[in-house]
Amino acid sequence: MSDETTQTIAADTDVKSGEDRTILLIGSGPIQIGQAAEFDYSGAQACRALKEEGARVVLVNSNPATIMTDPDMADRVYIEPITPEAIAEIIETEQPDGVIAGLGGQTGLNVTAELAEQGILEEHDVDILGTPLDTIYATEDRDLFRKRMEKIGEPVPKSTTISLDEGESVTDFDEEAFRGRVQDAVDAVGGLPVIARTTYTLGGSGSGVVDEFDELVERVRKGLRLSRNSEVLVTESIAGWVELEYEVMRDAANSCIIICNMENIDPMGIHTGESTVVTPSQVIPDDGHQEMRDAALGVIRELGIQGGCNIQFAWRDDGTPGGEYRVVEVNPRVSRSSALASKATGYPIARVTAKVALGKNLHEIENEITGETTAAFEPAIDYIVTKVPRWPIDKFDDVDFKLGTAMKSTGEAMAIGRNFEESLLKALRSSEYDPAVNWGDVDNDTLETEYLERPSPDRPYAIFEAFDRGYTVEAVEALTGIMPWYLERFKRVSDSAQAAAEGNFAQAATAGHTNAEIAAIAGGVDVDTIEQDVPGRTYKQVDTCAGEFAAQTPYYYSARQSEFNRGPLKGKAAAGELVVDKEIDSVVVVGGGPIRIGQGVEFDYCSVHAIQALRELGVEAHVVNNNPETVSTDYDTSDGLFFDPITAEEVADVAEATGADGIMVQFGGQTSVNIGEPLEDEIQRRGLDCEIMGTTVEAMDLAEDRDRFNALMDDLGIAQPKGGTATSEAEALELAHELGYPVLVRPSYVLGGRAMRVVHDDAELEHYIEEAVRVSPDKPILVDQFLADAIELDVDAVSDGEDVLIGGVMEHVESAGVHSGDSACMIPPRSLDKATLARVREVTEDIAGALDTIGLLNVQLAVKDGEVYVLEANPRSSRTVPFVSKATGVPIAKLAAKVMAGKSLAELDVDEQIPEDVSVKEVVLPFDRLPGSDPRLGPEMKSTGEVMGTAQSFGKAYDKAQDSVGKPVPREGVVALDLSADEFPDPDTPEGEELADGFGEFYEFSEAVDLIDAARSGDLDLIISRDRDLLEVAVEEEITYFSTKASARAALEARRAKDEPIDVLAVSDRPRNVGTWGGN
Amino acid sequence: MSDAYLALADGSVVQARCRAPGRTRGELVFTTAYTGYEESLTDPSYEEQVLTFSYPLIGNYGVRSERFESDRVHPRAAVAKEFTDDVAEWLTEAGVPAIDHLDTRELVTAIREDGAMKCGIAAGPDATPEAAKAELAECKGMSEHVDIGKRVTTVEHTVHPGGGEYDVALIDCGAKGSIISSLNERGADVHVLPYDASAEDVRAVDPDVLFISNGPGDPANFPQAQSLVETFTGELPIAGICLGQQIVARAFDGDTEKMAFGHRGVNQPVMDVESGQVVMTTQNHGYTVSDPGDLDVTQINVNDETAEGLASEEHGIITRQYHPEANPGPHDSLGFFDDVLGLVDKGTAVTAD
Repeated sequence: MSDETTQTIAADTDVKSGEDRTILLIGSGPIQIGQAAEFDYSGAQACRALKEEGARVVLVNSNPATIMTDPDMADRVYIEPITPEAIAEIIETEQPDGVIAGLGGQTGLNVTAELAEQGILEEHDVDILGTPLDTIYATEDRDLFRKRMEKIGEPVPKSTTISLDEGESVTDFDEEAFRGRVQDAVDAVGGLPVIARTTYTLGGSGSGVVDEFDELVERVRKGLRLSRNSEVLVTESIAGWVELEYEVMRDAANSCIIICNMENIDPMGIHTGESTVVTPSQVIPDDGHQEMRDAALGVIRELGIQGGCNIQFAWRDDGTPGGEYRVVEVNPRVSRSSALASKATGYPIARVTAKVALGKNLHEIENEITGETTAAFEPAIDYIVTKVPRWPIDKFDDVDFKLGTAMKSTGEAMAIGRNFEESLLKALRSSEYDPAVNWGDVDNDTLETEYLERPSPDRPYAIFEAFDRGYTVEAVEALTGIMPWYLERFKRVSDSAQAAAEGNFAQAATAGHTNAEIAAIAGGVDVDTIEQDVPGRTYKQVDTCAGEFAAQTPYYYSARQSEFNRGPLKGKAAAGELVVDKEIDSVVVVGGGPIRIGQGVEFDYCSVHAIQALRELGVEAHVVNNNPETVSTDYDTSDGLFFDPITAEEVADVAEATGADGIMVQFGGQTSVNIGEPLEDEIQRRGLDCEIMGTTVEAMDLAEDRDRFNALMDDLGIAQPKGGTATSEAEALELAHELGYPVLVRPSYVLGGRAMRVVHDDAELEHYIEEAVRVSPDKPILVDQFLADAIELDVDAVSDGEDVLIGGVMEHVESAGVHSGDSACMIPPRSLDKATLARVREVTEDIAGALDTIGLLNVQLAVKDGEVYVLEANPRSSRTVPFVSKATGVPIAKLAAKVMAGKSLAELDVDEQIPEDVSVKEVVLPFDRLPGSDPRLGPEMKSTGEVMGTAQSFGKAYDKAQDSVGKPVPREGVVALDLSADEFPDPDTPEGEELADGFGEFYEFSEAVDLIDAARSGDLDLIISRDRDLLEVAVEEEITYFSTKASARAALEARRAKDEPIDVLAVSDRPRNVGTWGGN
Repeated sequence: MSDAYLALADGSVVQARCRAPGRTRGELVFTTAYTGYEESLTDPSYEEQVLTFSYPLIGNYGVRSERFESDRVHPRAAVAKEFTDDVAEWLTEAGVPAIDHLDTRELVTAIREDGAMKCGIAAGPDATPEAAKAELAECKGMSEHVDIGKRVTTVEHTVHPGGGEYDVALIDCGAKGSIISSLNERGADVHVLPYDASAEDVRAVDPDVLFISNGPGDPANFPQAQSLVETFTGELPIAGICLGQQIVARAFDGDTEKMAFGHRGVNQPVMDVESGQVVMTTQNHGYTVSDPGDLDVTQINVNDETAEGLASEEHGIITRQYHPEANPGPHDSLGFFDDVLGLVDKGTAVTAD
């Protein structure tokens, strides 16, 4: 197969455009740890590139919250499961000439490999374009990879594999023989510590540095069970070396270039997705860099990669001028790192990869940024880029966030500066992370062992703290293993803060602090004074060429002037290299920053739609964002990309420099909404002629202020769960008694239901207050009546101040008690009668009116006993906006942006649409990546991403959605039905019997005495339970499970619908009717 | 307070921080390489120039003499956004002024728009804008440095043994050490001769190849090297790098011209005309071959299509405008040295042993 593939490619290389060719592009599915928005960015860019070349593009992705699945991105868009079954149907219908596998992450690669192995590609004569399959195999099979590297004389870490033979299983060994095998492997690589990892996994899950032999034995046992090809790799540990990545590009004519290299600040042993990463490398001398560059070119040529590829190295200074290195790993595709490299240099790797896959050579592809040069050149940059990850540490109290070789972060922020300090501080600010540590309570011992030696999300802050305490660079180097060059600069940041506290502000400014931060450090000094005393910020261009050519592309970052240039810059000096006509109508769209739980790619989708809508109206749209994974930070998405932190001061700078007439803060989730108020103050302080557009900041604030919102709902006659605000434990208990247990408790002003709980008695409430939140007058908690068994709804609407357009009404699968962001939901709803739906509309319209909403409005409702209750209303974009738009075909984010820009809904002449098919949104949960996490759904949001499944029945749509999140409902097998938890109906009640009978119809019931053992031994195919220990095993063993009554019932419906047709259909072919939600 | 000033030809004076004191003047140019500052600062081709690094942080991995390309610092002064203490100390010892904490991107874009320009620098405790301007007033154009070869060349014939398989006569117009070591590594003994060596001097070493090195400034200021090429054409295979290519082109009735701001960096894409393959090259030149004369253009710059490689099969000549010896920069084109020595093996125009 692979040889044939290679030949097909060779034969096709004379066809250099996409004319008359249909290309299938496979996306990466839901956002999950290890595979985030970067593939939306690369996929969307590839779609544009392929269309430019005249190709007909067919796209498949299960993730509706992506730009790539927008109707105009490809000729045919399928939001369908990324499974061989579904894609085979698409291939049958669309008859593509080629498929590009390397643009959809590991998911895209794996499914392409499966399609090839099943003969589907051959049957339909579909070529694999770009990098051939045998190359993919050669990089994923580490043993094969090592052999290829040895063949070309490249040094790799010593390694060996432990594998199972055909038909052999872990349980076949006696303990001694098994330990013997592991010991042999350790000896072969030079002793402990070693790295153990399984092949064919994503983001390095299940791998890690192991110091203890017994731990290694257990890891190997587990790895053998879980890996796709029953292999565990044991490698020499090169922990402590400098970790580097090279982004390489090759065309069919064998021209190869390095786009950039990236250096991890954290030494080898921490996954690059978990590291603070800097571009270009700082501590590697030219000799060493050139040796690794040679190696990278040798490797990409040896492997025959066509397009972008990522090569990972370990390097150390061994006393020679160039140091010594090892080739660690090759990723034969675009990746998170390539997205970062693209944003860091301006070189569009996915675009070039797509064109190379069509057969173009690098020097035949234009460099859009300069317009003068071609893709056949190596970018030169004249700034320092720093990336910091963002971890869901606030969501998972039980998870150890010690950083290691497996990824736990959900997203990242990138920043650009003219010195490392500026770049670092901008990146940390952009990550919006604030360690939950009171450094004053941390003694030196703890600081050293818990925060410096132990790598964690808090380490950068701990390093500053150490320098504040007078630690030397040498001491911190010994504790962290970080190269002194970096630590010296951390120390400068720390020193600059100390100087600022003493009244010398300039150094803190050139080290990257904002004026507001300096004012806070100085204490009692106002921002005006600071502003006059420190160097101002100006805009520099990202141009791929360090200024050597005049660039055409409006991609900018801010940088402080040097200390000889004090005071705020005005006019031309402030604008720097910015090319903008201030007289033209322009708007600044504020993006969403790094992806985190509760604030995912859906807000980037909304931001991009806002930009597109403005441009459609002829208004220039500038965007401020700092997430390198996203479409919003692609250089050709907006009229001006400002890659900067999202703070009031920095956004106001952009508004001032561009002469913006308005700023949109509705679209970037909590990140953008949160700067609304300070931004308004800053606009006023500077006297800018610029407004925050759409719904007022005041109204957004009102909606989040429980007491004022309650009063408003009372005035409108809209029911709400009873509740109130408590500022002490006594008040909370009193409220709970008034309302009657169970009650829902949560801190006010939080994101994604953080620390939300359902409590059933006084003891639980007291425990919650003591353990989870500290309640005080400035940190009140909300105590609400809990509407058990209510139907929950989400409504997304657009209001222009006169009319309200409802995008869609969604019914949650889960009941109250599961966070709305974690609940599967469906469009259209199926449990509401006409009168209730009419009331839903009425409530939505009333709230829109009362909040003077101009733009988007999301309302969360609960229906119980025919009464419609309001749970929450947010006059801004919500995470369901893209799902609604994809399911109904009504682009509500765009409509909202146009309304905010002054259009009326009547002028826009759009209708509500009610789809005939059922679309189900299902979430993907990160428990497999976060060992120790509680895998039960609950009031705290834990999901990282979403998929959409569409079919004629709810059951089939839910079934497809489960396939898409990788939790397929099995057709048959053994079920563990454990209804012991309160969540489930008692087995002896009619409800319980119904559930048991239902599962009994399709599955055998497990008779195991110990379900955990049964799960570990692979005897279970499906688990219905709320037993945390059992579910943790289910997560480890990848057994589909359902932890709530509602999802168990839905799963049963899915099973009943198994034999319905899979109903694969392009989004544009789905039947929809013009209608009115809740109308007649 | 600022303790350094950079006076530019447009009349402006930029404030900066002194990292190595002194007063000087030269042609302000920039390189876009991130790494390789030790190699660049010791590259004789930067003689009479003030070198600006467009990459802001210079000196990150220290200073080691093993990485030097010659025995001294050649630029008149160095400019960066930020120099480390290591580099500052080195340049201070070398007596070469260095300044930082200024907006180097602004300098680079000014050079891009207005061309490489004259500048004056005053750095140190008693530096003043006037002193920088006074230096500027004294600054000569690059082509006016007619004796520039004398300042960078070896004084007398030296031999760098490399195994004796070949003998190369390297005319040292400011040769980088890596050219010599690249030839040595391929078995060639390298006889380094002064830039103004006579034909007799060359004959005295009985070479297999005549090799014209890189060097600073205008090729028109190297008439003696040009006449060597004319003399030995047909008698010896001839190779040239950078200034060497320009001298060879002039000898073959070609012409050279000054570029607006030249090519300096390690990412210049060069396409081989025959194979279509593109490689990344190190470059450092302010003059270029505008007319290849009787030579064939075999390689071109992908960005501006200037001549990057010249050849004459008939006469056994190959030259490169870029620096195949790297240091700093990519090793993609090291094969050039094999090609040069291959001319000997092919027996093209070789004198009999």
